[in-house]
Order: sequence, then structure tokens, then C-alpha cells
Amino acid sequence: MKRLADKSFWNAVWLPVAILAVWQVLAMRAHTPLFPGPWQTLLAISKLYPQIVGQLGFTLSRAGIGFLIAAVLMVPLGILLGRLKLLGKVLEPAIDMLATLPPPAVVPIVMLFAGTGDAAKIVIIAYAAAVPLLMNTYEASRTVHPSANLVARALHLTKLEAMLHIDLPAALPMIATGVRLAVSSALLVAVTSEMLLATNGIGVFIQRQQENFQISGGLAGIAFISLAGLIINSIVFQFEKRWLFWHYRNANSKG
Amino acid sequence: MALERWILRFRSLVSLALILAVWQGVAMLELVPRKYFPPIPDIAAGFWSMLLSGELLAGDSLTLGRALVGIVGSSLIGIGLALLGEMVPAFRSAFRPIAAIVQPIPPAALVPMAIFMLGLGFKLYAFVIILVTIWPPYLNGAAALAAVGDVEVKTGRMLGLSERDILFRIKLPAAWPEIFAGIRYAATISLIAVVVAEMLAGRDGLGFMLIRKAFATRIPEVYALMFVCAFNGVVLNALINLLRWRITGWHMRMTERTP
Amino acid sequence: METMLEARELAKSYGTGAGALKILDGISFSVKKGEFVSIVGPSGCGKTTLLMALAGLLKPDAGAVSFKGKVLTGPSAGIAVVFQDYSRSLFAWKSNLENVVFGMIRNTTLSKAEKRAKGRELLAAVGLDGFADHYPWQLSGGMQQRVAIARGLASESELLLLDEPLAAVDAQTRADMQDLLLELAERFQQTCILVTHDVDEAVYMADRVVVLTRRPTRVDHDIVVDLGDRRDQITTREDPRFLEIRHDVMAAIRRFRAETPLAEKA
Repeated sequence: MKRLADKSFWNAVWLPVAILAVWQVLAMRAHTPLFPGPWQTLLAISKLYPQIVGQLGFTLSRAGIGFLIAAVLMVPLGILLGRLKLLGKVLEPAIDMLATLPPPAVVPIVMLFAGTGDAAKIVIIAYAAAVPLLMNTYEASRTVHPSANLVARALHLTKLEAMLHIDLPAALPMIATGVRLAVSSALLVAVTSEMLLATNGIGVFIQRQQENFQISGGLAGIAFISLAGLIINSIVFQFEKRWLFWHYRNANSKG
Repeated sequence: MALERWILRFRSLVSLALILAVWQGVAMLELVPRKYFPPIPDIAAGFWSMLLSGELLAGDSLTLGRALVGIVGSSLIGIGLALLGEMVPAFRSAFRPIAAIVQPIPPAALVPMAIFMLGLGFKLYAFVIILVTIWPPYLNGAAALAAVGDVEVKTGRMLGLSERDILFRIKLPAAWPEIFAGIRYAATISLIAVVVAEMLAGRDGLGFMLIRKAFATRIPEVYALMFVCAFNGVVLNALINLLRWRITGWHMRMTERTP
Repeated sequence: METMLEARELAKSYGTGAGALKILDGISFSVKKGEFVSIVGPSGCGKTTLLMALAGLLKPDAGAVSFKGKVLTGPSAGIAVVFQDYSRSLFAWKSNLENVVFGMIRNTTLSKAEKRAKGRELLAAVGLDGFADHYPWQLSGGMQQRVAIARGLASESELLLLDEPLAAVDAQTRADMQDLLLELAERFQQTCILVTHDVDEAVYMADRVVVLTRRPTRVDHDIVVDLGDRRDQITTREDPRFLEIRHDVMAAIRRFRAETPLAEKA
């Protein structure tokens, strides 16, 4: 109960509580199932949560597989392009162009090749995650500081040792940024692809609820996506803190 | 080395030529059915017919306009909120959990609900785009404003600047580079959000055209539309870069010095 | 001569209760108009805290700083600071000239054109004519600190506080900058307080050296540097009187160093 006495706790909580209260009042005055308040949403959650968690499972596993495929392919490719200067420079505009192509725009094409099943969705997710991973890894590998290369030579490191002990750690903070963007974009596109290529998943659940005018059910689904995003982001953040503490400490002492 | 220099100077064109050549090669080898992977001339013909009928310009002006309005709106609101948070720390700490909760919500999930409340018109797009794109400019702005160092602020104090002057003449200029990084990312998301919303709302815009052409199996036109989507990103980026150069040209030149 | 700045019984602690760290413990000294005073002390004594209090950027727990007879309650228009970290105190988005002109932001008598003309003069005075339209990050560290000094002079403050301004420049540049600062102080009749950890620099530059004790910090010695107004990097530094004063200051500081437990030195 010590937390409740903590001023910073209340500082963080008053605005969300106020918004929920205003929303509840507005909903009670509107008095229609088309505009449910937080209380109705809570009721919907308590009723529907087994179903929601099940559907969320489909969504998250596809997002995970898509992300992993993208990471396995794009991180090595990015490092390679950063090392092969000329090829990297020539392909840079092509990567930039690819980055401007929004993932949902590839949905119709992927549909042609892979139908509407899991494979199609995973391909779309992998594409969405690939762009930030490739761009950040390429940039990181391209800009490893020249003095790092001198250190490697002074210590008579082999190419492989230099890669492992110098290039990779130096590039990690930027790769981590790419990972963070890729994770959120994988989650985003996982839900989107379900709504466009309906089979199962949390996106489909939300759509069904709202088609049946169960707005509170739809809101319950959205709440769970938000919760999942929150948890995943904080897990990514924990990993970053653990592996990149030296980077943060350095950056902090400079700031 | 002359060849290398020549390649680097025209690398955008070389890059484009490379893509087109690989594309044409794959199409001509017919590794995949020609119907699903048409050669470049077919795609160009599809593009041309949509251009002549006027539907392409009508659709794309809607999509690009929506994205542009969304990105301008969310940048202004995001920067405004970041400045407010810097002036009133209590607001910043209160707004943090809201950002954390709303940020992971995909635009697609909002669309069906928003259609109920806002209809299929402009309000729908403004709501969806702003709600998903406000975060990068806000979060980058808030972090960058808070990170402006003690020495900079003390320098301002010693010159007799008020708190407001310090915010607008020292902290904000120092934060612009970070804010623009956020705006650039927000532009990418806004294009995604517009196309998704158009696909789901099913009335007009590039997203709607993509779905309709795909169901009508007008494959070359689908590919042409995809290229147009990518081109939209290039246009939006160029516009932002123009503004970025005007406001943070100093920073771009500074970072160029130490690659 | 009239008193420019007076510190009376300044005290400052960080934290409260048993964990409180007492930094300043009753510091008193005064600076007359036109004087150049150095403040030195062992590492870790509250030099920077003291300077912030003198600038009006930090409120002391007890005691007061008075500037021209009036007690300071915040930053004053008559006091300018040159910070050690020039790369941060100069604004990267402004050219060197704009940075110097920014120092005149509270000056309402000069027109914009006059401010720019004065800015160019000051840049010339610190040896940077031809660099007005460059940006600070295009210059070396020593040159950047010259821009910061020019900005300090631009505000026409009666008192210039120098917070280890030369700690981050190389030794050769450092000697040149010391002479430049002395020359400018004389030319603009500028009262200066220099905070430094370099005993040689403190003695070489100043009319008076205030030596601080280690934490909790008090004034240990207040030594008049009777070396005349003309200083020279070679002859002054070989002057027996210079060596004598240097010896006294160094001995005072080293005494504290020997008393400091090893664990606290880190």
C-alpha cells in the first residue's frame, strides 16, 4: 500500500482516470449500445475474455513467426550490404523505395500467390518487419566508426573476430531500434492482414463484434491488443536494457 | 574507378534500372505465371489506362491529401503536446500512460468502430490517421526537449531569457532534428493507415482501388497501383525533407561532417 | 575602489538528514571593480557549486551574494558566464556571429544592424574575423571557446564568470587563450572571476587567488598576486615571486589532498 501514498503514482494516474470518468458519463447520457462506456467494456471483457485470448493467440503467433523470418533474413543482409560499400550505395535508393511501399498495399498481390491462409499473412507480416530491420542494420553496419577498424587492425584481429567483437556490438544499438520498430509494425500488420483476409485472429474478432453492433465487444478486443502491445514493448525494452546497458549509460552521461 | 564514381552519381537511376531489369527478367523467364507477375510494359499499360480514365488521379489525390492532412495535424498536435509537457511536468507524467496504452492499437482495429461514429467521410480518416501518427512526433519531441542540457538552459538564463524564451529559442531548436525524425516515421505510418482505412471503409482512394482491382483480377493495374503507393511515400518524404532542410539544415550539415 | 561582488557566509548542502552532503560551509570573499580573481581548490570541492551561486543560478541555503550592493535573487543582467562546455553553451543552429549577437538579446539600445556590427568587432577581437558565418561545430575547441568569450563580452556585463573555460583545450592553445583573456580583460576593463583547478593558471591570470578547502568548503587563503599588470608566458612563469606564490597555493591544496581518504578521491 506504500505505492498509494506515492505522489508520482497519482501524477501518472489522474489523467487516465479523468478520461475514463468523462467517457463513462458521456456513455450513460447517450444510453445506447452503440456508444458503450468503460463499464460496459469491462463487462464485455469479463464475458468474452476466453474467446479474445484464444484469438489473440493466433494473431501473436503469426506476428512472431513473421518477425523471426524477417530478422533471420534481413539482419545478415543489412550487415552484408553495409560492408560491400558499392553494392550498398547502389541499392540504397531501392531500399528507400521499398520502405515507402505500405505493407497493406502488398496484400492484394500476396493474396494472388498465397491465398488468404496463414502463409499469406505471415508473408505480409515478414515484409512489414523486414523494412525497418534492413534499413537500421544497413545503416548501423555502414557507419561503424572508422577508429573501431583501426583498433581491430592494431589488435591483429581476423575478419571474423573483428565482426564478432567490434562491428556487431557497435551496430547493436541501432539494430535494436530496428527491432523495436519491426516488432510494433509486425503486430500492427498482423491485425490488419486478418481484417483484410478474414479467417481467424483478434482482428477478425473485432470486426465480427462490430458487424453485430457489439461495440463493447470490439472495444474489449482493442483493449487486449493494447495490453499485448504494452507487454511486448516492455519485454523488448528489458532485453535492450540488459544487453545494451553500456550504450545507455554512455548516452546518459553525455546528456 | 571512373565507372564507380559514375555509378554512384546516378545511383538512384541505377537502382531503379536494376529493379526494373530484375523484374522484367523474372517476368520473361515465366518462373511464375505471367498472369500473376506481368512484365513491365503490361504494368505501364495498366497505369496508362487508369491515368487516361482519370480514376488514378482522383483516387490518389484523395489518398495523398488525406495522408498529408493527417501528418500535418498529428505533427502540430504532437509537438504542441510535447511543448505543453515540457512546460507542465505534471501533464507529461499524466500523459505517459495514455501514450503507452493508445500507441500499440493498430489503425485497422479502429476503423470499424470509427465508421459507426464518424461515418465514411473525411472525419473518419482524420481521426484514424491522427490517433496512430501522433506518437512519433510527440514521443521524440518530449524526449528531445527534456534532454536539452543544463548548460544550454543556464546559458539562456544568464542572458536574461524568460522560461518561455528558453523553451522556444533554445529547447525547441535543439529538439527539431529529433522531432523531424519522428515526423518522417509518422509519414510512413500515415500512408499505411490511409490505405488500410480506405481498404476497410470501401468507398474511394487508392486502398479501395487496390482491393477492387484485385477482386476484378486486373493484375497489371494492381501492380501499377502498388508502384503509385510507393511513389506517394517518395512525394511525402520529399515534402518533409524540404521543410526539414529549412528548419534543421544546420543539423544535416553538422552530421554530414562526421559520417 | 568600489566592490563589484561580495559573497557572505555562503552555505549549501545537497540532500537532507543523515545523507546530507555539505558542499559550501560559510564562504566569504569580495571582488572589486576591475579585479581579476581566481578561485582554486582541491578536486571535488564545491567550485562549480560556488560559481553557480555567484551567477545567481543556484540559491544558497544560507548567506548571500551581493552584486553592486544588491542581494542576488536570480541571474542578473550585469553578470555573464563562460562555461567550460563550449560545445553545449554555443547553439549549434546559430552561426558564430548569430551566437555572439544572441548575447545582446536583452540590449534594447542597439539596432539589429548595430548588434551585427558589434558582433563582428568582438569576433575580430578574439581573433576570429573571417569565421562569422561559420558554425561553431566547424571550429576547433579553442576557437569555439573564443566565440563563447566573445558572446560573454557582447552582453556588456560588468562581471564575467569563467567556469574552467580552458579545461577542455590543448596545452598550446591554452597558453594563447590565457593571454587573450588577459588582454581582453584589460581592454574592456572587465572584472573577472576565474574558477580553475590549474594552480599555475590561477596564479598567472589573477590579481588575487582565493584558495578553497576541501568539502565542506571554506576559504582557506586569500592571496594577493603582486606580479604587476604585464604577464608573460615565459618571464612571469620564471619570476621567483610567481614560483613562491605558486608554491604557497600548491602546498595549501596538497595538504588537503593528503588528508583525503583514498576512497573519497575516486
